[in-house]
Amino acid sequence: MGKLKPQPTVSEETAAEISAIFSSDRPWVVVVWDDPINLMTYVTYVFMTVFGFSKEKATELMLQVHNEGKSIVAKGAREEMERYVQRLHEYGLWATLAREDQI
Amino acid sequence: MTPTEGFLRHGSDTYIANFAETEREVLVNLVQQIIEILAERHDHANEDPLAAMVGITTHDSPPDDEVLLRLLPNAYQDGVDAAEFRRYTESTLRDKKRAHAMSMRMLLLSATDGDVALDFENAQAWLGGLNDVRLALGVRLKVEQNSHEDLELLAPDDPMRAVYAVYTWLGWLQETLVEALMDEANS
Repeated sequence: MGKLKPQPTVSEETAAEISAIFSSDRPWVVVVWDDPINLMTYVTYVFMTVFGFSKEKATELMLQVHNEGKSIVAKGAREEMERYVQRLHEYGLWATLAREDQI
Repeated sequence: MTPTEGFLRHGSDTYIANFAETEREVLVNLVQQIIEILAERHDHANEDPLAAMVGITTHDSPPDDEVLLRLLPNAYQDGVDAAEFRRYTESTLRDKKRAHAMSMRMLLLSATDGDVALDFENAQAWLGGLNDVRLALGVRLKVEQNSHEDLELLAPDDPMRAVYAVYTWLGWLQETLVEALMDEANS
């Protein structure tokens, strides 16, 4: 048996994955956490106002926060996500941001 | 003086509530306390004036006080990132919250016959301001997901019972404003 020479096969997908690891553009996400004080209708309204979501979409995300303890409500570049978190804090929601793969 | 019926929408951009004298006093008192607790966190007067001018604060650690921490929460779960973010943004957030409370106080104090009329911008200030008061009271009451029943069972002479009554009233009031605003969002 000869030694097996490793053959790295780099598909387009793998290449994209690899460049994503080294890229600072890996998406960031805004996470809203469940909170026993904020009212459900209020959270829905804040999602509609801050993100421009429809009432249906905002309600769906609010329910996910309520039932599952958290929800990812936005995804994108870090600076933009930081601005969203700041606005959510102005409204008193409990929000944080993180790398998408660290949630 | 009859108790308020909450906010109702008038026309396309006005939200009106009428408050009894005692209700106004309670609200003014509460927002005043928010203004004061935020001021406790105010930067030291001798800080770098240039840094202050561009909104960089000397604070990069989270507040010790539970209420302040809830009003000015960490933006990252990671401590280092949270500190960095706080250093550059906390003073802006604090100013915003102070402005919300000040706007509420001004409109409450200048209300003729108890009438408070809000445009869209003021309504946003009130939503945030009312919420800050609810957060502060909720933290002090140790409101948790299933604690509402416990709080309703507080003894009649327990001072926290009165606080809880104010807390639920504020929630109701905020909800009337949200509903009035949602009407618009739908139309």
